[in-house]
Amino acid sequence: MDLENTKAQMRKGILEYCILSVLSRNSCYASDIIKELKEAEVIVVEGTLYPLLTRQKNGGLLSYRWEESQQGPPRKYYELTEAGRSYLADLDKSWNELVESVNHIRTR
Amino acid sequence: MKITVSINLGGYSFNIDEDAYTELKSYLKNLELHFAAEESSSEILSDIETRMAELFRTKITTYKQVINIDDVRQVISVLGTPEDISDNEGPSVRDKFSSPGYHRMYRDPDHRIIGGVCSGMGAYWDIDPVIIRVIFVALVLAGGIGVLVYLILYIVLPEAKTTAQKIEMKGNPVNIHNIKDSVKKEFDTVRKNMKL
Repeated sequence: MDLENTKAQMRKGILEYCILSVLSRNSCYASDIIKELKEAEVIVVEGTLYPLLTRQKNGGLLSYRWEESQQGPPRKYYELTEAGRSYLADLDKSWNELVESVNHIRTR
Repeated sequence: MKITVSINLGGYSFNIDEDAYTELKSYLKNLELHFAAEESSSEILSDIETRMAELFRTKITTYKQVINIDDVRQVISVLGTPEDISDNEGPSVRDKFSSPGYHRMYRDPDHRIIGGVCSGMGAYWDIDPVIIRVIFVALVLAGGIGVLVYLILYIVLPEAKTTAQKIEMKGNPVNIHNIKDSVKKEFDTVRKNMKL
């Protein structure tokens, strides 16, 4: 058994959920999302984030707008759409159920 | 002394050492290949380029104005190789391309005289295109059938535009080493043309 692989599999599932959670508080620039995900240690290489963001945007969960920046070219700010909010609410619910299930087994 | 290249990455301009440039370009080509099956691959790539530019900006100071190969390697390790990225997001179509010996005939625009048909055939069979050209010229002189054959091949054969196609044309598997070689060759050709 490969521990790193198992850990990667666990992270894979929750990464999408974490991105939506970060964006539920306020709209964010991709590098801000990365900072939060890194602090929480749910992401290993940054490159993983970009395809997920684009897929979520194409799936109608996110939208983005361009904002001027003092430090350089305009930046892309992502935010949750209505569909994204209800999607996240569903994920919140199933996350709580999962934690409960796992705790139930672990504390028996 | 080293030659530097000037590049535009994510809207910022950078001076970058030649070896660092080759490394960066082959990395970006690899990512392009990796995301080729995604619906919005160009958008993903441009987001990644923007992020790389941001990280490179932190490496520039008054005393260090040029991006070197260590900077490039460090930034690549932060963003992750295609392999690192796919570990986190499941399989991609990359495997389709990297099957060994994927071999197609293309027109070769880099070594063409007219439309790249003969140079493409030469690359495909790994023989000197001059031999094929001589045969074509002979066919043209012997009744003109060569013109018709050339025209049909010109229409039927696609041009090898991307690095991956150029590698396929020669029948080599598309992987990181071949891409690196190929990018280096492209770069050397450009440099020769500019007489640097």
